[in-house]
Amino acid sequence: MTGIAQPLSRRGFLRLSAGAAGAALVRPGPAAAQKAQTLSILHENSFIKTFDEYFRQTLAPEYQKAAGVRINYELASVGSLQTRVTTVAETGSGPDITLNFFNWPYLYDEKYVDLSDIAAEIGGQNGGWYQSAKEATFVNGRWKALPFGNVGQLMVWRTDWFAEIGVHRFPGTWDELLEAGTKLKARGHPFGFELGHGFGDNHGWLYPLLWSYGGREVDRDGKAVVLDSAETARAVDFCRTFFRQTMVEDVLGWTDPNNNKAFLGQQISCTNNATSILWAAKRDFPEIAKVIDQSQNPKGPTGQRYHLLNSWSHSIFTHTPDREAAQAFLRWLMQKPQLSRWYEAGDAYYAPFLHGYDDAPMWKAEPRNIPYKESLATSHLPGWPGPASRAMSESVSKYVVVDMFAKACAGASTRDVIKTATAQIKQIYGAS
Amino acid sequence: MNVTRAQSVTVPAAAVRRPAWRGVLEREAVWSWLMLAPPVLYLAAFVAYPFFYGVYLSLESRPVGRPGVFVGLRNFALDLSDPVFWQVARNTFTYTIVATLLKAAGGLALALVMNQQFRLKNAVRASLLLPFIVPTVLSTVAWMWIFDPTFSVINWVLVHAARLHAVPSWLGNPSLAMASIIFVNTWRGLPFYAITLLAGLQTIPPDLYEAAAIDGAGPRQRFSYVTFPLLRPVLIIVTMFSVIFTFSDFQLVYVLTGGGPANATHLFATYAFNIAMGGGQLGLGASVALAMFPALLLLIMGLTLYLRKE
Repeated sequence: MTGIAQPLSRRGFLRLSAGAAGAALVRPGPAAAQKAQTLSILHENSFIKTFDEYFRQTLAPEYQKAAGVRINYELASVGSLQTRVTTVAETGSGPDITLNFFNWPYLYDEKYVDLSDIAAEIGGQNGGWYQSAKEATFVNGRWKALPFGNVGQLMVWRTDWFAEIGVHRFPGTWDELLEAGTKLKARGHPFGFELGHGFGDNHGWLYPLLWSYGGREVDRDGKAVVLDSAETARAVDFCRTFFRQTMVEDVLGWTDPNNNKAFLGQQISCTNNATSILWAAKRDFPEIAKVIDQSQNPKGPTGQRYHLLNSWSHSIFTHTPDREAAQAFLRWLMQKPQLSRWYEAGDAYYAPFLHGYDDAPMWKAEPRNIPYKESLATSHLPGWPGPASRAMSESVSKYVVVDMFAKACAGASTRDVIKTATAQIKQIYGAS
Repeated sequence: MNVTRAQSVTVPAAAVRRPAWRGVLEREAVWSWLMLAPPVLYLAAFVAYPFFYGVYLSLESRPVGRPGVFVGLRNFALDLSDPVFWQVARNTFTYTIVATLLKAAGGLALALVMNQQFRLKNAVRASLLLPFIVPTVLSTVAWMWIFDPTFSVINWVLVHAARLHAVPSWLGNPSLAMASIIFVNTWRGLPFYAITLLAGLQTIPPDLYEAAAIDGAGPRQRFSYVTFPLLRPVLIIVTMFSVIFTFSDFQLVYVLTGGGPANATHLFATYAFNIAMGGGQLGLGASVALAMFPALLLLIMGLTLYLRKE
């Protein structure tokens, strides 16, 4: 039993979108003058092919049947979505709806339609949103995007090789992981955590490492730069030791595909990644898939564990000629009959931000994915505990925190790397 | 009957009368401008406009999706106080100078070899162009596999043939990463040099070589006193183009290293892209991109003056 719900009937659709239609009739804004026959939604190629296929082959035709509106599913290649979104936002033409990552709703807030009413409605119907969902999409008191799911970055490890050194449960702290990694490297099974300039697998473990040691880029107000601290220094020192004792030098130049390839090539015993490694192993390397497990990030000296929030959400561009039609589509898409099927097509790669999905059948289908759901409670955007901001994006795009750790691993002194990173953060937060 | 020459070519006046617009078109000034208009419009739309818009952006604080605020030279001041900017500048100059020298030397050598007579000469010349023809992103993905720590064919050879236990981390070590991207750029750009110089070599009259040989000049002297001086203008032109392309290179670095490790391979173009697109700071990104301009302008002016003198 997959738990896939029945497709929504035409009548059901009309009932669900009555609110939007009513609003359109009562208050037809200038943008509503043109009735949409077609809507375009911009996405990035998913690592989980069935996810995109399900939308194209099932959800889009269903909506066309129910509402008479054709949905174009426009895919950008991996890593190029932001360039496309920037172009669309700047030119005011192109797709009506877009996928967002991280804090993009903050970057493009003035180009996005307020979706607060739909967010409240969907949240109310599904047990409420996780707080982390709000962190990435709630801009100046308004929901500028509808949260979809989180692509968590967790620990992916080989149970058989860990068992060889007597470790049967994933280490609970970074120190315990260091101990295990030292033994595993000596046995020819090093770790591989990205320290290069990829898109997410680097930030995915380095920000949580910094936070779990008590280090922060900026304070809660998002203004005071507090990176230069004893906690940051301890995190940097640990990272250097962790790199030297458990990893290979190559990780300094890795980008996102490298750790997947190395893990599936049986070169490394542990990495930090989304669930795509397990997914690909089940498809192509079933023997390896049997000995993979996934766990939450270890705790630091503060006794806390953290994860990076890689929020996926959907927004409507203000230039869309028929906002109501776009809102009606998103409202339909976020209803349980559609949403639960799309999540399942994604094989739990996207952890829902709605509490109503905490016990969804997709978690039972593959219990090894459950840590990705559990990590939502401790997931934050880079730059946390400061509020999401443009400065946060600039800091991430300049790899300030990643390079602070990477330079230390390559041999620079802790003092120097923190000094350089602090100067950069001060400039970024002071200038933006 | 005597018929004058004038009479013999006389045709009815109605037949020679041409429409007024054709008369206008036949004026040299009009015709030449008509011919020039398409490229001028093309350059204005796709070169001049983006350039001046870039200059305009660089003078604004211009977050993506928001109106800009004029800040004068503040973005450039921020660049100058950014340590990564200086690292990027060093990287870009190192990358450009070393890659250009390698391409010039290698391209010249290759052109001299290709200028000889040998079997399958045409096939070899055609295959020489392959690295230049293949889309950069595609060939760079292939290089990504060649340098891949897990699947690197180079490392496989080093381990199995040279019996090495520790293999180089081509893209993980900052110096090797820079060397690697220079190598790939050289591989890609060499055919451009070689083919252009080969074309130059073929314009040198054989009589000059014969005269030099009669005067007792050996191969080295023929190269120094005949080939090189006559090839110099072509070499300068091709170097100018190569420097411009290399200085503003983006795809290769973006695909291969993303500017890592720790900014060791970041160039102006990749750094500007990250700031403008990733960071959403269009004005600041434009200022980094424009930082390339003075160096390129000086180079182009210098080479143009030299060519005029020649």
